[in-house]
Amino acid sequence: MQSKIIVISSGKGGVGKTTATASIGAALAMKDKKVAVVDMDIGLRNLDVVMGLENRIVFNIVDLAQGKCKVQQVAIKDRRISNLFLIPASQSDNKDVLTPDDMIRVSKELRESFDYILMDCPAGIERGFENAVAAADEAVVVCTPEVSSIRDADRVIGLLYSKQIPPKLLVNRIVPARVERGDMLSHQDVVDVLSIDLVGLVEEDEQIVIATNTGNPIVLQNNSKAGQAFKRIAMRLNGQPDLAIEVPRVSKSFWQKIGSRISFGKWE
Amino acid sequence: MLINDIVKKIFFKNESKDTAKKRLQFALVYDRLEVSDEALKKMQNEIVAVISRYFVIDQDQMKLNITRHDDLSALMFNTPIISSKPRQRMA
Ligand SMILES: Nc1ncnc2c1ncn2[C@@H]1O[C@H](COP(=O)(O)OP(=O)(O)OP(=O)(O)O)[C@@H](O)[C@H]1O
Ligand SMILES: [Mg+2]
Repeated sequence: MQSKIIVISSGKGGVGKTTATASIGAALAMKDKKVAVVDMDIGLRNLDVVMGLENRIVFNIVDLAQGKCKVQQVAIKDRRISNLFLIPASQSDNKDVLTPDDMIRVSKELRESFDYILMDCPAGIERGFENAVAAADEAVVVCTPEVSSIRDADRVIGLLYSKQIPPKLLVNRIVPARVERGDMLSHQDVVDVLSIDLVGLVEEDEQIVIATNTGNPIVLQNNSKAGQAFKRIAMRLNGQPDLAIEVPRVSKSFWQKIGSRISFGKWE
Repeated sequence: MLINDIVKKIFFKNESKDTAKKRLQFALVYDRLEVSDEALKKMQNEIVAVISRYFVIDQDQMKLNITRHDDLSALMFNTPIISSKPRQRMA
Protein backbone atom coordinates (compact mmCIF):
# COMPACT_ATOMS: atom_id res chain seq x y z
CA MET A 1 0.00 0.00 0.00
CA GLN A 2 0.97 3.61 -0.34
CA SER A 3 2.14 4.93 3.00
CA LYS A 4 0.13 7.53 4.87
CA ILE A 5 1.28 10.24 7.25
CA ILE A 6 -1.30 11.27 9.85
CA VAL A 7 -0.64 14.13 12.26
CA ILE A 8 -2.36 14.09 15.67
CA SER A 9 -2.82 17.71 16.77
CA SER A 10 -4.96 19.83 19.10
CA GLY A 11 -3.84 23.37 19.79
CA LYS A 12 -4.53 23.14 23.50
CA GLY A 13 -2.18 20.99 25.56
CA GLY A 14 -3.02 17.97 27.66
CA VAL A 15 -6.11 16.86 25.77
CA GLY A 16 -4.82 13.41 24.80
CA LYS A 17 -2.68 13.68 21.66
CA THR A 18 0.10 11.45 22.95
CA THR A 19 -2.35 8.91 24.36
CA ALA A 20 -4.21 8.88 21.03
CA THR A 21 -1.00 8.52 18.99
CA ALA A 22 0.22 5.54 21.03
CA SER A 23 -3.18 3.86 21.02
CA ILE A 24 -4.09 4.37 17.36
CA GLY A 25 -0.55 3.36 16.36
CA ALA A 26 -0.82 0.15 18.37
CA ALA A 27 -4.24 -0.64 16.91
CA LEU A 28 -3.04 -0.11 13.34
CA ALA A 29 -0.02 -2.36 13.95
CA MET A 30 -2.35 -5.06 15.26
CA LYS A 31 -4.02 -4.93 11.84
CA ASP A 32 -0.72 -6.05 10.33
CA LYS A 33 0.35 -2.63 9.18
CA LYS A 34 3.89 -1.48 9.72
CA VAL A 35 3.57 1.61 11.88
CA ALA A 36 5.93 4.33 13.11
CA VAL A 37 4.78 6.73 15.81
CA VAL A 38 6.94 9.84 15.84
CA ASP A 39 7.30 12.06 18.90
CA MET A 40 7.42 15.61 17.51
CA ASP A 41 7.42 17.24 20.93
CA ILE A 42 11.12 18.11 20.79
CA GLY A 43 12.42 19.03 24.23
CA LEU A 44 9.39 17.59 26.04
CA ARG A 45 9.32 14.00 24.94
CA ASN A 46 6.57 11.80 26.34
CA LEU A 47 5.53 9.22 23.81
CA ASP A 48 8.43 6.98 24.93
CA VAL A 49 7.22 6.73 28.54
CA VAL A 50 3.59 6.32 27.53
CA MET A 51 4.71 3.30 25.44
CA GLY A 52 7.14 2.00 28.07
CA LEU A 53 10.15 2.33 25.76
CA GLU A 54 12.07 5.07 27.58
CA ASN A 55 14.99 2.80 28.42
CA ARG A 56 15.74 1.86 24.84
CA ILE A 57 16.38 5.23 23.27
CA VAL A 58 19.67 5.57 21.43
CA PHE A 59 18.95 7.93 18.54
CA ASN A 60 16.11 10.40 17.98
CA ILE A 61 14.29 12.26 15.22
CA VAL A 62 16.77 15.15 15.28
CA ASP A 63 19.66 12.71 14.77
CA LEU A 64 17.77 11.24 11.83
CA ALA A 65 17.15 14.68 10.32
CA GLN A 66 20.81 15.57 10.75
CA GLY A 67 21.95 12.37 9.08
CA LYS A 68 23.57 10.93 12.22
CA CYS A 69 21.67 7.65 11.93
CA LYS A 70 19.47 5.59 9.63
CA VAL A 71 15.75 4.89 9.95
CA GLN A 72 16.54 1.31 11.04
CA GLN A 73 18.69 2.63 13.88
CA VAL A 74 16.33 5.28 15.21
CA ALA A 75 13.13 3.20 15.15
CA ILE A 76 12.58 1.34 18.45
CA LYS A 77 10.57 -1.84 18.21
CA ASP A 78 7.65 -2.09 20.65
CA ARG A 79 7.89 -4.71 23.41
CA ARG A 80 4.38 -6.10 22.98
CA ILE A 81 3.19 -5.39 19.48
CA SER A 82 5.23 -6.42 16.50
CA ASN A 83 5.13 -4.00 13.54
CA LEU A 84 4.94 -1.04 15.92
CA PHE A 85 7.94 1.30 16.11
CA LEU A 86 8.67 4.47 18.05
CA ILE A 87 10.80 7.30 16.75
CA PRO A 88 11.56 9.38 19.85
CA ALA A 89 12.00 13.12 20.18
CA SER A 90 15.26 14.63 21.27
CA GLN A 91 15.12 15.85 24.85
CA SER A 92 18.02 18.28 24.78
CA ASP A 93 17.20 20.39 21.73
CA ASN A 94 14.44 22.93 21.22
CA LYS A 95 11.83 22.94 18.49
CA ASP A 96 13.78 25.28 16.25
CA VAL A 97 16.50 22.71 15.47
CA LEU A 98 14.12 21.21 12.92
CA THR A 99 12.49 22.95 9.98
CA PRO A 100 9.45 21.94 7.95
CA ASP A 101 11.84 21.22 5.06
CA ASP A 102 13.80 18.79 7.26
CA MET A 103 10.58 16.99 8.04
CA ILE A 104 9.55 16.74 4.40
CA ARG A 105 12.92 15.18 3.63
CA VAL A 106 12.85 12.76 6.61
CA SER A 107 9.27 11.79 5.84
CA LYS A 108 10.25 10.63 2.37
CA GLU A 109 12.65 8.18 3.98
CA LEU A 110 10.09 7.05 6.54
CA ARG A 111 7.51 6.38 3.83
CA GLU A 112 9.81 3.75 2.38
CA SER A 113 9.81 1.73 5.61
CA PHE A 114 6.30 2.13 7.02
CA ASP A 115 2.64 1.87 6.00
CA TYR A 116 1.49 4.42 8.57
CA ILE A 117 3.45 7.23 10.14
CA LEU A 118 1.70 9.00 13.03
CA MET A 119 3.10 12.36 14.12
CA ASP A 120 2.44 13.28 17.75
CA CYS A 121 2.19 17.06 17.65
CA PRO A 122 3.27 19.32 20.51
CA ALA A 123 0.72 21.76 21.96
CA GLY A 124 0.57 25.17 20.33
CA ILE A 125 0.66 26.40 16.75
CA GLU A 126 4.28 27.49 16.49
CA ARG A 127 7.32 25.83 14.95
CA GLY A 128 6.71 22.45 16.57
CA PHE A 129 3.27 22.34 14.96
CA GLU A 130 4.63 23.49 11.61
CA ASN A 131 7.22 20.72 11.69
CA ALA A 132 4.72 18.02 12.64
CA VAL A 133 2.25 18.92 9.87
CA ALA A 134 4.85 19.61 7.17
CA ALA A 135 4.55 16.26 5.41
CA ALA A 136 1.13 15.13 6.66
CA ASP A 137 -1.48 13.68 4.33
CA GLU A 138 -4.28 13.80 6.91
CA ALA A 139 -4.88 15.10 10.40
CA VAL A 140 -6.70 14.00 13.52
CA VAL A 141 -7.61 16.95 15.74
CA VAL A 142 -8.11 15.97 19.38
CA CYS A 143 -10.30 18.01 21.72
CA THR A 144 -12.14 17.50 24.97
CA PRO A 145 -15.73 18.71 25.45
CA GLU A 146 -14.62 22.00 27.02
CA VAL A 147 -14.82 25.54 25.70
CA SER A 148 -11.12 26.37 25.63
CA SER A 149 -10.14 23.09 24.02
CA ILE A 150 -12.83 23.43 21.35
CA ARG A 151 -11.87 27.00 20.60
CA ASP A 152 -8.22 26.03 20.12
CA ALA A 153 -9.28 23.07 17.98
CA ASP A 154 -11.13 25.50 15.70
CA ARG A 155 -7.96 27.49 15.19
CA VAL A 156 -5.96 24.37 14.35
CA ILE A 157 -8.67 23.11 11.99
CA GLY A 158 -8.49 26.45 10.15
CA LEU A 159 -4.71 26.20 9.86
CA LEU A 160 -4.89 22.60 8.60
CA TYR A 161 -7.44 23.50 5.92
CA SER A 162 -5.23 26.37 4.80
CA LYS A 163 -2.43 23.81 4.35
CA GLN A 164 -4.72 21.46 2.43
CA ILE A 165 -4.47 18.75 5.10
CA PRO A 166 -7.97 17.36 5.68
CA PRO A 167 -8.72 17.11 9.44
CA LYS A 168 -11.10 14.84 11.33
CA LEU A 169 -12.16 15.28 14.93
CA LEU A 170 -11.55 13.02 17.91
CA VAL A 171 -13.49 14.04 21.03
CA ASN A 172 -11.68 12.65 24.09
CA ARG A 173 -12.53 12.33 27.79
CA ILE A 174 -16.29 12.29 27.36
CA VAL A 175 -18.13 11.62 30.64
CA PRO A 176 -21.54 10.26 29.58
CA ALA A 177 -23.19 10.95 32.95
CA ARG A 178 -22.21 14.61 32.76
CA VAL A 179 -23.42 14.87 29.18
CA GLU A 180 -26.74 13.38 30.24
CA ARG A 181 -27.00 15.91 33.08
CA GLY A 182 -26.32 18.79 30.71
CA ASP A 183 -23.07 19.82 32.35
CA MET A 184 -20.86 18.69 29.50
CA LEU A 185 -21.14 19.49 25.82
CA SER A 186 -22.28 16.45 23.86
CA HIS A 187 -20.30 15.26 20.86
CA GLN A 188 -23.13 16.61 18.72
CA ASP A 189 -22.71 20.08 20.25
CA VAL A 190 -18.99 19.93 19.51
CA VAL A 191 -19.61 18.87 15.92
CA ASP A 192 -22.22 21.64 15.48
CA VAL A 193 -19.77 24.25 16.70
CA LEU A 194 -16.76 23.06 14.71
CA SER A 195 -18.61 21.71 11.63
CA ILE A 196 -16.16 18.90 10.97
CA ASP A 197 -16.42 15.12 10.51
CA LEU A 198 -15.78 12.85 13.46
CA VAL A 199 -13.20 10.10 13.47
CA GLY A 200 -14.28 8.85 16.89
CA LEU A 201 -15.42 9.43 20.46
CA VAL A 202 -13.38 8.33 23.46
CA GLU A 203 -14.67 8.43 26.98
CA GLU A 204 -12.96 9.29 30.20
CA ASP A 205 -11.44 5.99 31.34
CA GLU A 206 -9.43 5.26 34.47
CA GLN A 207 -7.74 2.41 32.71
CA ILE A 208 -5.85 4.91 30.56
CA VAL A 209 -4.11 6.14 33.69
CA ILE A 210 -3.20 2.57 34.67
CA ALA A 211 -1.99 1.74 31.16
CA THR A 212 0.12 4.91 31.12
CA ASN A 213 1.54 4.17 34.58
CA THR A 214 2.74 0.79 33.42
CA GLY A 215 3.62 1.74 29.85
CA ASN A 216 1.22 -0.75 28.31
CA PRO A 217 -1.02 -0.24 25.26
CA ILE A 218 -4.63 0.47 26.24
CA VAL A 219 -5.84 -1.24 23.07
CA LEU A 220 -4.75 -4.62 24.47
CA GLN A 221 -7.22 -4.11 27.32
CA ASN A 222 -10.40 -5.71 26.07
CA ASN A 223 -12.46 -4.37 28.94
CA SER A 224 -11.40 -0.76 28.38
CA LYS A 225 -14.00 1.30 26.56
CA ALA A 226 -11.40 3.88 25.59
CA GLY A 227 -9.14 1.12 24.25
CA GLN A 228 -11.93 -0.28 22.13
CA ALA A 229 -12.83 3.20 20.89
CA PHE A 230 -9.23 3.76 19.76
CA LYS A 231 -9.36 0.45 17.88
CA ARG A 232 -12.41 1.58 15.97
CA ILE A 233 -10.73 4.91 15.21
CA ALA A 234 -7.81 2.97 13.72
CA MET A 235 -10.23 1.01 11.55
CA ARG A 236 -11.81 4.24 10.29
CA LEU A 237 -8.39 5.59 9.38
CA ASN A 238 -7.44 2.28 7.81
CA GLY A 239 -9.88 2.05 4.93
CA GLN A 240 -13.21 1.85 6.81
CA PRO A 241 -14.19 5.52 7.07
CA ASP A 242 -17.88 4.68 7.30
CA LEU A 243 -17.68 2.43 10.35
CA ALA A 244 -20.48 3.75 12.60
CA ILE A 245 -19.46 6.08 15.42
CA GLU A 246 -20.39 4.63 18.80
CA VAL A 247 -21.59 7.17 21.30
CA PRO A 248 -20.41 6.63 24.90
CA ARG A 249 -23.41 6.06 27.14
CA VAL A 250 -24.06 5.80 30.84
CA SER A 251 -23.84 2.12 31.70
CA LYS A 252 -27.32 1.03 32.54
CA SER A 253 -28.60 -1.64 34.88
CA PHE A 254 -29.87 -4.91 33.48
CA TRP A 255 -33.54 -3.87 33.64
CA GLN A 256 -32.88 -0.47 32.09
CA LYS A 257 -31.09 -2.25 29.28
CA ILE A 258 -34.02 -4.55 28.69
CA GLY A 259 -36.27 -1.50 28.71
CA SER A 260 -34.23 0.35 26.12
CA ARG A 261 -34.02 -2.76 23.94
CA ILE A 262 -37.76 -2.93 23.80
CA SER A 263 -38.47 0.72 23.16
CA PHE A 264 -35.45 1.99 21.23
CA GLY A 265 -34.01 -1.20 19.80
CA LYS A 266 -33.81 0.14 16.27
CA TRP A 267 -31.73 3.16 17.15
CA GLU A 268 -29.34 1.68 19.66
CA MET B 1 -31.04 10.28 37.09
CA LEU B 2 -31.36 11.82 40.53
CA ILE B 3 -34.53 13.60 41.63
CA ASN B 4 -32.32 16.67 41.84
CA ASP B 5 -31.50 16.48 38.18
CA ILE B 6 -35.09 15.98 37.18
CA VAL B 7 -36.14 19.03 39.16
CA LYS B 8 -33.32 21.01 37.62
CA LYS B 9 -34.40 19.96 34.14
CA ILE B 10 -37.98 21.03 34.70
CA PHE B 11 -37.33 24.37 36.35
CA PHE B 12 -34.07 25.50 34.79
CA LYS B 13 -34.25 24.53 31.19
CA ASN B 14 -30.99 26.30 30.47
CA GLU B 15 -28.29 23.75 31.11
CA SER B 16 -24.72 24.97 31.53
CA LYS B 17 -23.66 23.23 28.36
CA ASP B 18 -26.15 25.28 26.36
CA THR B 19 -24.52 28.42 27.64
CA ALA B 20 -21.12 26.97 26.76
CA LYS B 21 -22.30 26.17 23.25
CA LYS B 22 -23.71 29.65 22.62
CA ARG B 23 -20.62 31.36 23.94
CA LEU B 24 -18.41 29.17 21.80
CA GLN B 25 -20.39 29.74 18.64
CA PHE B 26 -20.14 33.44 19.19
CA ALA B 27 -16.44 33.41 20.07
CA LEU B 28 -15.63 31.40 16.97
CA VAL B 29 -17.39 33.81 14.63
CA TYR B 30 -15.18 36.49 16.05
CA ASP B 31 -12.01 34.35 16.01
CA ARG B 32 -12.56 33.37 12.41
CA LEU B 33 -12.95 37.03 11.44
CA GLU B 34 -9.98 38.09 13.47
CA VAL B 35 -7.64 35.55 11.94
CA SER B 36 -7.28 37.29 8.62
CA ASP B 37 -5.68 40.67 9.24
CA GLU B 38 -4.51 40.60 5.69
CA ALA B 39 -8.00 40.09 4.35
CA LEU B 40 -9.30 42.98 6.45
CA LYS B 41 -6.64 45.28 5.05
CA LYS B 42 -7.48 44.21 1.55
CA MET B 43 -11.18 44.74 2.14
CA GLN B 44 -10.48 48.19 3.53
CA ASN B 45 -8.57 49.15 0.42
CA GLU B 46 -11.39 47.93 -1.79
CA ILE B 47 -14.03 49.82 0.19
CA VAL B 48 -11.91 52.97 -0.01
CA ALA B 49 -11.59 52.56 -3.75
CA VAL B 50 -15.37 52.32 -4.17
CA ILE B 51 -16.21 55.22 -1.87
CA SER B 52 -13.55 57.41 -3.45
CA ARG B 53 -15.41 57.18 -6.73
CA TYR B 54 -18.22 59.16 -5.15
CA PHE B 55 -16.70 61.15 -2.31
CA VAL B 56 -13.45 62.74 -1.35
CA ILE B 57 -12.63 61.12 1.97
CA ASP B 58 -9.98 61.63 4.59
CA GLN B 59 -8.06 58.40 4.40
CA ASP B 60 -6.08 59.08 7.56
CA GLN B 61 -9.19 59.43 9.68
CA MET B 62 -11.12 56.43 8.49
CA LYS B 63 -11.55 53.38 10.66
CA LEU B 64 -12.57 49.81 9.97
CA ASN B 65 -13.62 47.87 13.04
CA ILE B 66 -15.30 44.67 13.96
CA THR B 67 -17.39 45.15 17.06
CA ARG B 68 -19.30 42.62 19.06
CA HIS B 69 -22.56 43.01 20.87
CA ASP B 70 -24.52 40.49 22.85
CA ASP B 71 -25.89 38.59 19.93
CA LEU B 72 -24.23 39.89 16.81
CA SER B 73 -20.95 41.02 15.36
CA ALA B 74 -20.83 44.12 13.19
CA LEU B 75 -18.43 45.49 10.66
CA MET B 76 -18.14 49.26 11.19
CA PHE B 77 -16.61 51.49 8.60
CA ASN B 78 -16.24 55.14 9.58
CA THR B 79 -14.88 57.88 7.41
CA PRO B 80 -15.15 61.65 7.38
CA ILE B 81 -16.36 62.93 4.01
CA ILE B 82 -14.49 66.01 2.86
CA SER B 83 -16.64 66.70 -0.16
CA SER B 84 -18.60 64.98 -2.87
CA LYS B 85 -17.00 64.53 -6.20
CA PRO B 86 -18.06 66.78 -9.07
CA ARG B 87 -21.03 65.27 -10.89
CA GLN B 88 -19.37 64.64 -14.22
CA ARG B 89 -16.79 62.40 -12.61
CA MET B 90 -19.31 60.02 -11.15
CA ALA B 91 -19.29 56.56 -12.65
N1 LIG C 1 -9.75 9.20 27.75
C1 LIG C 1 -8.99 9.49 28.83
N2 LIG C 1 -9.38 9.09 30.06
C2 LIG C 1 -8.61 9.36 31.14
N3 LIG C 1 -7.44 10.02 31.10
C3 LIG C 1 -7.00 10.44 29.90
C4 LIG C 1 -7.73 10.20 28.71
N4 LIG C 1 -7.04 10.72 27.67
C5 LIG C 1 -5.92 11.27 28.19
N5 LIG C 1 -5.88 11.10 29.53
C6 LIG C 1 -4.82 11.59 30.44
O1 LIG C 1 -4.67 12.98 30.25
C7 LIG C 1 -3.32 13.37 30.40
C8 LIG C 1 -2.83 14.11 29.16
O2 LIG C 1 -2.83 13.22 28.06
P1 LIG C 1 -1.73 13.30 26.92
O3 LIG C 1 -0.37 13.36 27.49
O4 LIG C 1 -2.03 12.22 25.95
O5 LIG C 1 -2.12 14.72 26.31
P2 LIG C 1 -1.31 15.56 25.20
O6 LIG C 1 -2.35 16.24 24.38
O7 LIG C 1 -0.33 14.71 24.50
O8 LIG C 1 -0.55 16.61 26.14
P3 LIG C 1 0.62 17.64 25.67
O9 LIG C 1 -0.10 18.75 24.98
O10 LIG C 1 1.24 18.06 26.95
O11 LIG C 1 1.53 16.88 24.77
C9 LIG C 1 -2.53 12.09 30.66
O12 LIG C 1 -2.33 11.96 32.03
C10 LIG C 1 -3.46 11.00 30.15
O13 LIG C 1 -3.26 9.77 30.82
MG1 LIG D 1 1.79 15.02 24.20
